[in-house]
Amino acid sequence: MAQVDVLIVAGQGPARRATVACALAGLLTCLLAGGGCLLQPREAEPPQTGDIVVYLEQIDPANTWDNLQTSAGAMHAPGWEAGISSVNFLYIPDSAAEAQFPGVFDNWGREREIRFINALYNAEVTIEDAVMRNPGFVVPPSSGSVSVWENVIYDLKVKSKVDGRTLRYRGSAIITFTLEGNFWYISEWRDQQGESDPDTEQLLPTLGVLRGSFASK
Amino acid sequence: MTGSRPRYRRLGALSATALLWAAFLAAVPAPRVSAQTDDGTDDSAEEQPRPPDAGLRAARDMADAARAQGDSLAAASWDSVAAAEQAAIPEVPGKFLQDLTFSPVGGVRANVRQYTLYSDWTTTARFGGSASGTQVLNWSLEEYRKQEKTVENRKGSLDYNFGKQLPMVTIINSNWNWSEDRTTNTAGFSNLYKVDNKTVNLNSSQHKVNALGLTNSVRVGGNFTDQASLNQEQRNDFREGTAGANLQSGWEARPGVAIVGRAAATATGGTRLLAGRSSPSSATGDSLGVGIYVKRGIGTAFVEMTRSNFEKKYLEFRRNANGLIDTVGVPEDQKVVSELETRDALAFKLDYKLAYGGLKSEFTGTHLTDDLQLATGLSGLKQREAKEANLKVGYKAGRDSVSVAWKYGLKWDDQRIQSATVSRGRQYVQERDLLMKWQRRLFSSTRMELQYHEGLTQDIAQDGFNANDKDRLTRDFSSRLDRAWRDRFRTSMVFSWRQTQDLSIRGSSSSNNNFKDSYELAPGFNWKLAPWIDLDQSYRLYIQYTDYVYSYLAAVTRKDDYNKRGDLVTKITCRPSSRLTVTIRHDWNRRFNATKSTEDAAGRAFYQRDLEQDISKIDLDVTYAAGPGITLEAGTYRTRDEKTSPGRANSTSRTDSGELVVGGRVDRKFGRMQRVQVSAMVKKINAFGPSITASSSDFWEADAWLKWTF
Repeated sequence: MAQVDVLIVAGQGPARRATVACALAGLLTCLLAGGGCLLQPREAEPPQTGDIVVYLEQIDPANTWDNLQTSAGAMHAPGWEAGISSVNFLYIPDSAAEAQFPGVFDNWGREREIRFINALYNAEVTIEDAVMRNPGFVVPPSSGSVSVWENVIYDLKVKSKVDGRTLRYRGSAIITFTLEGNFWYISEWRDQQGESDPDTEQLLPTLGVLRGSFASK
Repeated sequence: MTGSRPRYRRLGALSATALLWAAFLAAVPAPRVSAQTDDGTDDSAEEQPRPPDAGLRAARDMADAARAQGDSLAAASWDSVAAAEQAAIPEVPGKFLQDLTFSPVGGVRANVRQYTLYSDWTTTARFGGSASGTQVLNWSLEEYRKQEKTVENRKGSLDYNFGKQLPMVTIINSNWNWSEDRTTNTAGFSNLYKVDNKTVNLNSSQHKVNALGLTNSVRVGGNFTDQASLNQEQRNDFREGTAGANLQSGWEARPGVAIVGRAAATATGGTRLLAGRSSPSSATGDSLGVGIYVKRGIGTAFVEMTRSNFEKKYLEFRRNANGLIDTVGVPEDQKVVSELETRDALAFKLDYKLAYGGLKSEFTGTHLTDDLQLATGLSGLKQREAKEANLKVGYKAGRDSVSVAWKYGLKWDDQRIQSATVSRGRQYVQERDLLMKWQRRLFSSTRMELQYHEGLTQDIAQDGFNANDKDRLTRDFSSRLDRAWRDRFRTSMVFSWRQTQDLSIRGSSSSNNNFKDSYELAPGFNWKLAPWIDLDQSYRLYIQYTDYVYSYLAAVTRKDDYNKRGDLVTKITCRPSSRLTVTIRHDWNRRFNATKSTEDAAGRAFYQRDLEQDISKIDLDVTYAAGPGITLEAGTYRTRDEKTSPGRANSTSRTDSGELVVGGRVDRKFGRMQRVQVSAMVKKINAFGPSITASSSDFWEADAWLKWTF
């Protein structure tokens, strides 16, 4: 009987006009999709020699994480954005950053992370010596579709173009990578605590404080 | 003839709109007006007649539902049941203390990150005149497993609601928060972060008072805060009091149309101590708003405009031009500055909702401006503006349903650094987004869904490109077919295409510009083999091509590539008895990555494989309901991951990972009045794998507590 049901086309009644309208809307949708004529990006300038940002293919969590370092070094936002999961991303600050910016980190997902990195790169700063994992960190090989890195220490120096002073951000974090489709993305960034300056032993803030500063005002 | 000729006058856009609006208002029936309160709630809800035990029934239903789902938060729901039960008890006339209840709770939590011991004590009292008081004491101690860190929290609160004892709705609440956070980082540096915060709030309000032909609501309040904190051996204390008043008046201009005005003002005064320096602090703020609200038979609409500003004087650490604290190497007397912060903001919002038959339409438009200026801080003046419009239209008729949503947003920010003569220049972000959906029942039990989405986000710098000037365009189309073949067999088929364009506009960054095209095909079925066994199987084929826009240039090292993945998921769910559920799941997937090596004269591309990977994962989960409120659970998985990198010499690697979880849940109440409640979830987890550290390989996950109500 199921086969017979398939052949029965119901709804020949008063909804016919609406059906035709819907079919037209669907057809229009397909045409727009095929033609891609709705929104057009701008024409880009051809690349200039000697300033090429080379990212690694995100077929491994280490490549994804190292691309953040490349992005920070070149202050090239697309590289950072490409590493952040579009399905599910959560940033969790350390308690010191949370206390300094209460409520700012609630539901910090991909959109806010992208807003932060663009605001940072567009600010009057340069980033010096971005190192996203400490030399002693042993990268675990990936297995399955989730990989967790514990206690990875990152280190960034942000120099103000206005007064030339440099601020350093160094913290330890737990990073969760997830395999989505065919590539690895960062799905959770949990800052644990600020780390000490190796030269002066002064306690340094995490990137949570940098995020909070740009997000709060 | 000229004199008898009718004289027509062209309607201007404004007059035409006004005429249409007037006709619309006159034509539709007028329901009761309900002016919105400041917090956006609708006062009309207060006037709805409610059966006396409706709240109790709702709370019981919610708690039962949560408990049925094994939700660990069921306890919270039961608290609301207790509160509703208490509220439902009729008041004894002439008696001051109507009822007194104590609820001590003690428990322990554990997970992969931390252990927590906690205890709470809640005292609830009901007084004559519908007054009530609640006192809560909390204590917790957290010990972190992956860090050298302990946190102790002590909290207390005391609330008193005067009920009908005073002519206005008056509530006093006081809070005390104390915490000590001791952290030692990997270099052995220890820090103590202490906070001791005490706050008292008094709020009094009166809603819907009719006077001078207006419906008025008034709210007055005040609070006092005393906070002492210590971080990195720097003190940051303040003692401040705030007083505020809020008035809202509404005028029913005609049935269904209300004009509402709002005014609010706050003033704060006190002292602040920061890093050894003490100074008075103050703040004043005010807000003025006006809104027009329309609620008619087929739709609602409102227009609101609010202007607000404040001025704050306080002590602050020295910050740089980007607002970041910058005190390293700065002389002690310059580390802390006296700041004066002023803010002016304007918000405009237009909203309408319309429903007529199967047609639904919704529009929201907002315009915000915000200027923030620091008198001392190097940030100087920051200006922001944001405009956004959202339009949604949906139509449902017969077996079809069509909806279209359009969003447009334009925002910019600018900054004039302290002492600079010119601003940095505006940084614009422009967003446009279109989403179209079409759902249709093709045949009996067969549904089709088509969706198209296109979104463009542009970062645009004023006066020429900057390094981050870029466009991100996303286009995606998906179609889905679902069919229920009688009750026991369901099938689905999904096809989707997605294109993402990442385009940096400036030449210094454009070498990475690329188009990514992804295709996905996913057929699947669910087959109820018998009332006690289900079989689910789905297959997913996924391929993504990446074309670098300038890969033909010699200077650009990026090569086009593709990535493929096939994923087969099989899941069997058995319920041999009402107590036992067994789930077996196998996930097998294979993927390839390849890079374009050459292209022949005919334009055919050849790719070389860089990586081949097989991942196989098998899961087994067992749940057994041992008795009322007692469930035993066990689960395990094992993953094998094999990678091969083809080349002159193939390199192969294999990693294995897995986990075993054994545990159970108990949720029981004891005693004649069911006043003792036990809730416990305990699991033992053992895991292995390349990314499993010592602290993650063997741990307990638990949440167990005991509660007594008397």
